[in-house]
Amino acid sequence: MNDAFWRRFLVPGALWLAFFFAVPFGIAIAISFGQAAEFGGVIYGWHPENYADALDPLFAPILLRSVGYAAATALLCLAIGYPVAYTIARFGGRWKNALIALILLPFLINYLVRTYAWVALLSDEGLLSNIAGRPLGIINTPVAVIGGLVYGYLGFMILPIYASLERMDPALIEAGKDLYGGPRQTFWHVTWPQTLPGVLAGALLVFLPAVGDFVSAQLLGGPDTYMIGNLIQQQFYGADNWPFGAALTVVLMAFLMIFVAFFLRGGRSAERREALA
Amino acid sequence: MMLDGNGIGRREFVRGGAGLVLGSSLLTAGCGVGQEKGSEEAVKKVVPAKVDGDLLIFNWTEYMDPKLISGFEDRYKVKVRTANFDSMPSMMAKLRSGNEYDVIFPTADYVNRLVQANMLLQLDREKLKNADTIYSFFDDPWYDAKSAHTVPYAMYTTGIAWRDDKVEGISGSWNDLMNESAKGKVFMLDDFQEGIGQANLLNGFDLNATDPAELAQTKQTLEQQKEYLRGYSTNAAPQLLSGAAWIHHAWNGDIINTRNQAKNKDPEIFKFETCKEGIPVGSDCMAIPVNAKSPGTALLFLDWILDPVNASQNIQYHGYPMPIEGSEDSFAELAADDPAIEVSVDDLESGSQFKELSVVERKAWDRVWTEVKA
Repeated sequence: MNDAFWRRFLVPGALWLAFFFAVPFGIAIAISFGQAAEFGGVIYGWHPENYADALDPLFAPILLRSVGYAAATALLCLAIGYPVAYTIARFGGRWKNALIALILLPFLINYLVRTYAWVALLSDEGLLSNIAGRPLGIINTPVAVIGGLVYGYLGFMILPIYASLERMDPALIEAGKDLYGGPRQTFWHVTWPQTLPGVLAGALLVFLPAVGDFVSAQLLGGPDTYMIGNLIQQQFYGADNWPFGAALTVVLMAFLMIFVAFFLRGGRSAERREALA
Repeated sequence: MMLDGNGIGRREFVRGGAGLVLGSSLLTAGCGVGQEKGSEEAVKKVVPAKVDGDLLIFNWTEYMDPKLISGFEDRYKVKVRTANFDSMPSMMAKLRSGNEYDVIFPTADYVNRLVQANMLLQLDREKLKNADTIYSFFDDPWYDAKSAHTVPYAMYTTGIAWRDDKVEGISGSWNDLMNESAKGKVFMLDDFQEGIGQANLLNGFDLNATDPAELAQTKQTLEQQKEYLRGYSTNAAPQLLSGAAWIHHAWNGDIINTRNQAKNKDPEIFKFETCKEGIPVGSDCMAIPVNAKSPGTALLFLDWILDPVNASQNIQYHGYPMPIEGSEDSFAELAADDPAIEVSVDDLESGSQFKELSVVERKAWDRVWTEVKA
């Protein structure tokens, strides 16, 4: 088979990206240079001042809070997700696929509905407070918001780690033991470096949507949990200022892309160091 | 039941969902469907009031008795589907991106916009049998000259709802949002218009104040109030019922809704007051968009809702007074112990109504709101 044949298989993916990413994002960029009309709607034009507005330091604390929540979410997902993926991959046996399916099951339900379930569970008169015998006071706090994000995106951490564990040759662990490595040493010197690509992929897959999330903060948050996603939503559905909302979106995307570039570069050099070590 | 009062607030639910589908409306808007203005001829299309298809109505959640809708389906042998919006801008976004609805429920200030943009069909009141039941105040309202495009739906006001079994020292003022006994159990409406509006009134400014010095002071007020907040929400009923909120900035119909859902709690513990510094009042409408697929059936539907017997039934469900002769007793029953939830035509004339802000003014308000929330 020649390259030309295999290249055809890129077409569906490329079309998908074009229609569901490139075109909508192009529209968002076009709107971001427009002007809010007196009676709502967008007047297209050249108004780069939307970007000057979007870079206002006023939004820095909101962005920092969002990044902080998302970073905490990614770390917690790693702490919870890695042992889960490890257990399933190493000890799942013939139940492996069933266990992975169980992890995916909640994702068949809309994220919004699942977040509402947490409202019911965490509220002052909800299940958890009833069990504890007193109002837990978790809801309407940053803890609840981050908890909602962790729950919402945990699967995105487990799956790539599981995949990289599955890909790993178990003989490597045997080899580590043969070389007198204890369980801890074997894990840090053999398993962890092998699964680092999965960890990095999972961290990105969790962090990126968590930064832009607005559902968790809106439903589980309190007076001081305003995230960048809430601000953007307010521009579209509250203040009726689509151009500004679009400019904020583009700025957020640019920020995240720069972040991803550095993250991946850092990740690669870490992998290289591990490979040399 | 443990889930009592934690029922999914449909208004918030719609809001969350709205964001998730935003992408699709962005797409259609960008494809040029979302035009600035419709044509003037389309607005004047003559439509006979007879069945010409099924209906898709576009409304707030929990704002119309479902039994009225099924009654209409049985009477005219048509299907009626309902879609919901959670805010006026989100309704506008859907309309502008070309979605076709047969009946919509815009607030007065948005009627003005829709009319200017040629997005509403002209209504011939001659074709509505129950048009005579509409209060004469609405013959020529400020938002729609000669009521050419709309019929009124309900009248509402914003105030403070509270749990009488928990809170002490309610004083009939917007300062009650800073009640010491409810500190940390107060919710403000998650709506920048209502939030800034009440703070403007509390400071003695006009409801729609946009003067920078006044807005600076209003921002301070909102920051002081924030110290007492547990959160922002547009979902008063479940918050009050579950005990999350002891005090909730709310619309008058919210309190009826709350009591209707009280189940194992005494409905009388849920109280509502309007505030002495000023009361935001408003009214909303029913209208038929120019691109409605079944405008004839839609006319019949408006007539159905305007029928005084149906209106009386509807009021028991949504809890708001309607400006329809013959529906007064139904509301009076709800308001027997609660004069604060009443809104009269006099209130509409003398009270403060949210005006449509210019783009610059709206930006200034949004900035205050963001600064407070940041």
